[in-house]
Amino acid sequence: MTDPRAQAASSAVRARRRRFSRQERLAYLILLPALGTVFVIVTIPFVLVLIQSFSADDGTLIGLRNYSRALGNPLLYEAIRATGVYTLIVLPIEFLLGLTFALLVHRTIKRTGIRAAIYVLAILPLVVPPVAIGVVARLIYAPSYGVLNVILERIGVIHQEIDFLGDPTLAMLSVASVDVWQWTPFVYLVLFSGLQTVPRESVEAAQIDGVTWWTQFIYIDLFYLRPLFLLLLFFRLADVLRVFDHVFILTGGGPGTATQLLSLYMYRVEFKFFDLGQAAALAVVVLVSLSLLYTLITRFLPLERE
Amino acid sequence: MRRRGRSPAGVLRIAVATAGIAVAGVLYGFPLYWLAVTSLKGKGELFASTVHLVPHDPTLAAYSSVLIDRGFWVLLKNSVIVCFSTVVITLVVGLIITYPITRLQVPVRLRVNVLTWALSLRFLPPIAVVIPYFAIVRTLQLYDQPIALIGIYSLFNLPFAIWMLKGFLAEIPIEIEDAALVDGANRWTAFWLVLLPLAAPGVLAAAIIVFTFAWSEFLFALILTATPNSQTFPVGVQGLVTQFEIIWNDMAASGVIAMSIPLILMVIGRRYIVAGLTFGVIREK
Repeated sequence: MTDPRAQAASSAVRARRRRFSRQERLAYLILLPALGTVFVIVTIPFVLVLIQSFSADDGTLIGLRNYSRALGNPLLYEAIRATGVYTLIVLPIEFLLGLTFALLVHRTIKRTGIRAAIYVLAILPLVVPPVAIGVVARLIYAPSYGVLNVILERIGVIHQEIDFLGDPTLAMLSVASVDVWQWTPFVYLVLFSGLQTVPRESVEAAQIDGVTWWTQFIYIDLFYLRPLFLLLLFFRLADVLRVFDHVFILTGGGPGTATQLLSLYMYRVEFKFFDLGQAAALAVVVLVSLSLLYTLITRFLPLERE
Repeated sequence: MRRRGRSPAGVLRIAVATAGIAVAGVLYGFPLYWLAVTSLKGKGELFASTVHLVPHDPTLAAYSSVLIDRGFWVLLKNSVIVCFSTVVITLVVGLIITYPITRLQVPVRLRVNVLTWALSLRFLPPIAVVIPYFAIVRTLQLYDQPIALIGIYSLFNLPFAIWMLKGFLAEIPIEIEDAALVDGANRWTAFWLVLLPLAAPGVLAAAIIVFTFAWSEFLFALILTATPNSQTFPVGVQGLVTQFEIIWNDMAASGVIAMSIPLILMVIGRRYIVAGLTFGVIREK
C-alpha cells in the first residue's frame, strides 16, 4: 500500500465520500425541521378526530358507538350511491369526449398557432372557481329565470318550463354536466400531450402498411396512451370524491337527497346536524379507506420517471 | 410543415374537426357570455317578462352594488391577503423541501419518499380533512381569523408546489451551482444568487397556480369563517346564491369578479398549468 497513486486515489474516494455524507447531513438538517413541522400540523388534527370519533359530545369515551351509528345510517349509502352514479355519468363522458377531441386535433390540425390557441382555451375552464361555475349553472338551469328554458321555448322544442333542478334525475344530470364542462378539457390536454409522444416511426410504418385510421388508433395510439389513462383515472377519481362547491351552489344536494354526494353528506352531518361524533367516525372511515386505496394504486402509476 | 394532398376522407375529417370545435366553442362561450350579459343588466330588466339574449341597456350598477353597497370589496381584500400569504409561505416551505432533494446528494429512497408523501396529501378529500381542522381551529381560537385559512391553504398547496419546483430545480445543471461553490460562494449565496434567478420562471408559474387554487377554494373558507373579518370572496358569492330572493345580476357580477382574476393569471402562467395539475407527469414544452 505504498503506491502513491493508489494512495492518492483512495484518499480522493474517501474525500468524495466525506463530501457526499456532508451533503447528506446538510440535506437532513434542512429537511427535518420543515418536514417535521408539516408532519405535526398534518397529524395533530387526525389524532384529534380519532379521539372525537370514540367520544360522545360531552367527551366521555363510548367505544365504537359513533361508528355503528355512522355506518348504520341509510343516508350514508344513499350518498355513496349518488357519488357512484355521478362518477359513472361523468367519467365515461369526459374520457370519451376528451379522447375524441385529442385525436381530432392531433390528426387534423397541424398548425402550431392554432394548437397553441386551443391549448390556452382548454386550460381556462380548469382555473375558473367552481363556485363561479355554480353561479353560471344556476343562471342556466334555475327555474323561472334559467336561460336554457328560454332558449328551448324560443326554438319551439318545449312549451312548458322544465324544472331541471326539481326533478331528481334531471338534477343529477345538471350537476354532472357542470363537471363535464369543467374537466373534459383537462382530459383532452393530458391525452393530447400523450399523443405527441407516440413515435413518428411507428405511425409512418403503419401508414406504409396502409392501415386505416381506426386500426392506427386502436393498435398504436391507444397502446402509448395506456399509462396516461390509468393516471387520469386516478386523478379524476380523487377529484370526484372532492366535488363539493358547484353542487352546493347549484342544488345543495337536493331535491331531497338526489344529488347529495358523499362530501355534501359529510358536511351536513357535521355542520347541519352538528353530530360531531358521527362526522368524526365518517372522516376516519373515509381517510383510512382512501389511504389503503392510495397505497394500492400508486404501485401501478408511472409517477417516478427517472 | 408537411402538406399532403387532401383526400375526400381528409376533407371530411377537417369538416368534422371544425364542426366539433364550433360546438365546443358555443358550449363554452355561451354560458360565460350569459354570465357577463346578466351582470350588465339593470334592476328593472330582471323582472321584465321577456328575457333578452343580447345586452339591452347595459349598466355596471350590479358591480357597484356588489362591491360597495354589499361591502364585498372587504372580501376581495381578504382573498388577496390570504392568497398572497399562502403563495409566500407555500413557496418558501416548498423550496426548503425541494432544494435538498434535488440539489444535494441524497439517497434516492429519501427523494421518492418525500415526493410520494407529498402526492398523497393531494388525494385527501377536503371534507374529511375539514372536520378535524375545524376542531383544532376552534381549540386554538383561530375561528374566523384569516391566519387559519392561510395555514391550511399553505399546507394543502404544498404538494403542488413541491412537485412543480422539483421539476424546475432538477432541470438546472448542477455544474452551474458547483462552479459558484468553487469560486468561493457558500451554499446560501449559490442558492440565492445563482440557482433562484435561473429557476425564477418556474417559481413564478408555481406562484400563479398556488394563487389561483387558493383564490378558488371554497369549502374551508365556508366552514372556518363567519364574518367579513375573514370571509373570502367565494363565500360572499355563495351568500348571494342561497339568499331567499336571488338578485340575479348581483350574483352574476360576483361570478364575473370571482372568475376574472384566475383567468387573467392563467393566461400569464399557461405554460405550466398542466404540469402542475398532473404533478409533472405531463410537461408542456
